[in-house]
Amino acid sequence: MKARIVIALCAAMAGLSGCALAPVQAWEKGQLARTDMLMQGDPLGTRFNEHIYTSKEAASGGSAVGGGGCGCN
Amino acid sequence: MDKDKQPSVGQALLAAAMLLPGLAHAEAAPERGAISVKYLYYKEDQPGLDRVQVHAPSVSVMAPIAGEWSVSASATMDDVSGASPRYHTAVSGASRMDDLRKAGDVSVTRYLPHGTVSVGAAFSTEHDYRSRALSLQATFDSDDKNTTWALGLGGSDDAINPVNHIVQNEGRQTVSVLAGVTRIFTPVDIGQLTYTHSEGHGYYSDPYKLVDNRPRKRDQDTVLAQWNHRFVAADATSRLSYRYYRDSFGVSAHTLSGEWVQSLANGWTLTPNLRLYSQRAADFYFDPVYDSKTGAPFPPGYVFGGSAFTSADQRLSAFGAITAGLKVAKQIDRDWSVDLKLEHYEQRGAWRVFGAGSPGLAPMRANSLQIGFTRLW
Repeated sequence: MKARIVIALCAAMAGLSGCALAPVQAWEKGQLARTDMLMQGDPLGTRFNEHIYTSKEAASGGSAVGGGGCGCN
Repeated sequence: MDKDKQPSVGQALLAAAMLLPGLAHAEAAPERGAISVKYLYYKEDQPGLDRVQVHAPSVSVMAPIAGEWSVSASATMDDVSGASPRYHTAVSGASRMDDLRKAGDVSVTRYLPHGTVSVGAAFSTEHDYRSRALSLQATFDSDDKNTTWALGLGGSDDAINPVNHIVQNEGRQTVSVLAGVTRIFTPVDIGQLTYTHSEGHGYYSDPYKLVDNRPRKRDQDTVLAQWNHRFVAADATSRLSYRYYRDSFGVSAHTLSGEWVQSLANGWTLTPNLRLYSQRAADFYFDPVYDSKTGAPFPPGYVFGGSAFTSADQRLSAFGAITAGLKVAKQIDRDWSVDLKLEHYEQRGAWRVFGAGSPGLAPMRANSLQIGFTRLW
């Protein structure tokens, strides 16, 4: 099961990184530089929401490693 | 660049594009620092019981250093108080709590021509729980800076000393790895795919719940896909994400979330958001059907002092949840912005997708408010 997940992911990542669209040039990246286009949202708000969800749902994590635990399970 | 050589228009545009702040998908060192202060309030209830409420002021600071480094740090205090059921959603006998959690983290990032390296540390303490964590993350950019790969490694070491002394000097250690790729597809589309795997061992039971005995090992896997699209004509951005989660407790979960960032006149931004969540129960979760002789909270055939895994924790049951929220932000001038966010969250067994939810539990509802400001310098 785990091996299949890893293989599928590698294929997806390779596909994503090798996607055959015309490469975007540096001077075309103005819209991408906006803060609302950044992958990471508002850091404090995101952290608060993740903390709440971690303590109310069984699933957690996904976007980073190295966050501390808490007694909230 | 050679002084007596005129740059071409293309080169000039390229140089200008490179100077744009936050051109950070292939991440450049930040040019300006930022400080954010937020106050967060959260309150949850179920029919007949006001449960936990949280007051949490927090602050974060990011400072660029010498054009090639940045330091980020944040600190928060969670004042958590209220009631929590000891098994399932039983109102009677709910445990009362009042705890102050202090948490802080710091990270340092070095920006290199083709990537970044970050190290981070996090610390949190409660009267019965202490956590320490370290992380190392590196990113690598393709030559055209349209693709960025990320690799990460993290570890945490937690110490657990519940006030009821049901266990003493317990602990939990976790190691996590991350692999991800971010890809710019078009001038208005960017996607990211991230995989994490975490292995932990130690004390996972909840010391304040009855008949709670969980495995001492937990492996977790997540796959997170995110997609941001810019609608230039509408001056709006859509932010979509999907996360798949599974762990060795037998839980699997799907999380779909989206937000629409709509810019308005005079620096106002309106951002409605919606999140849908669904999880399968842990293998050792039992429904609220109790032993015919001993009664609640014991599952049928419960053996006192036995080693069987059991839990009546609502958070390990099968359920679905919906979050709906709205954020209003105002950019006051070039340096100052303020924001307010309201969210409603509701969790019900019947809302599970891809299968039946756990029966017999009360729905859980929560409201939260975040108010904050950010100052750039």
